Amino acid sequence: MMGLDAGAAEALRLSLWVASLATLLSLPLALGLAWLLARRDFPGKGLLNAAILLPLVLPPVVTGYLLLLAFGRTGPVGRTLEAAFGLVFAFNWTGAVLAAMVMGLPLMVRAMRLAFEATPPGLEEAAATLGAPSWAVFTTVTLPLIAPGVLAGTVLGFAKALGEFGATITFVAAIPGQTLTLPSAIYNALQVPGGEARAAALTLWAIAVAVAAVLISEWLARRMAR
Amino acid sequence: MTRLGTYLRALALVAAALCAAAPLRAEPAVIFAAASLAGALDDAVAQSGADAVISYGGSGALAQQIARGAPADLVILASPDWMDWLRAGGHVTVSTDLLGGRLVLIGTGAPLPDPDAAALLARLGGGRLAIGQRDAVPAGSYARAWLQSLGAWEALRPHLAEAPNVRGALTFVATGAAPLGVVYATDAAADPRVQVLYDIPADAHPPIRYPAAALSPAGTALLEALRGAPAFAAAGFEVLE
Repeated sequence: MMGLDAGAAEALRLSLWVASLATLLSLPLALGLAWLLARRDFPGKGLLNAAILLPLVLPPVVTGYLLLLAFGRTGPVGRTLEAAFGLVFAFNWTGAVLAAMVMGLPLMVRAMRLAFEATPPGLEEAAATLGAPSWAVFTTVTLPLIAPGVLAGTVLGFAKALGEFGATITFVAAIPGQTLTLPSAIYNALQVPGGEARAAALTLWAIAVAVAAVLISEWLARRMAR
Repeated sequence: MTRLGTYLRALALVAAALCAAAPLRAEPAVIFAAASLAGALDDAVAQSGADAVISYGGSGALAQQIARGAPADLVILASPDWMDWLRAGGHVTVSTDLLGGRLVLIGTGAPLPDPDAAALLARLGGGRLAIGQRDAVPAGSYARAWLQSLGAWEALRPHLAEAPNVRGALTFVATGAAPLGVVYATDAAADPRVQVLYDIPADAHPPIRYPAAALSPAGTALLEALRGAPAFAAAGFEVLE
């Protein structure tokens, strides 16, 4: 790829893959959690909200350390998942996706919850009264109304996933081809005497991806408004 | 309007109080030091009786901050390469090797005398060997030099977990995330959760040196005061004359 050596291009590809997958996997989860927090009252709601928002408030290194303790090879959750499904997060690209999801989820849930809350439940109730089944109410009434909020949350989540550094490097290290993402590659380039040119090339690519993401989201938002 | 006026007046009062208070505080000297010195350097500063604050970081990050005008009085790096880089850029004129270090293989269980590629892979059991990032972290490049001297680098390379600094590699082993790791002897001594499995011979990698350079008269005095501090030897560093 332009201006990038093989290792740097691999980091860019890995970053795009990890951020896209993390955003796609988070989307239904964030939508469900946002709906739950906006439309339902249940015991422990405050706690659930706090747990979702925690990665936003904690230093990313702390989040990464907690992930390492819980999802590492010897962590209680990591051991169980490996035994049950053969799913390994430790020092694996799947761990980078998990870290990106955890860091991006609060931003996605927050934006989507606000969108749910801005939609009057009266419209949904009216549709239900007129005999629409609940899935039809959601897809034909609720979803079009909250779409701008969902888009905003998705863009925020993708941005966070792409830029995530502290939690990822603490949780799954920086293994070329597995967990060495764009921010880690830039950080490493800056740690080597004379590595500035490599860092600069990677930085330009990071800016290009960010600008492209913003332009695409603006275009989508304009199409939705029509 | 009145409320805004009151708010602005309160703000001005706070600003004035801050300005008045600032000169009362004597400015402590600022030390920029490699992350692997954390702990021992704090103790050494306390023993020297000097008034200094320490900013820890990776050697590369620290060197670049100094090159861009960071107000440090004394800089102690874990990498001669970065000190050479500072000297070439004209940011540092004289540097001395303050400390030396040793590399160890850490993990849990029985010692691993004379390890080779097969023995290391067997002990890893599908897990990973934690080291500092091979290009970015001095401890990582020393670890690579040792593995290369064993002829084990190619075999081990797909089984590495490379951390952003040497303490990160220590954390991977201490939390059980990685079965083995290569860190400085001083790091291994700092964490009771890990054991030294093998002392890596000093001739298996370039000499481990911590070069120091004073950037101000206060820094020169501080460097002299730190030289004799017993905390370095107590932490396992080799004190160089």
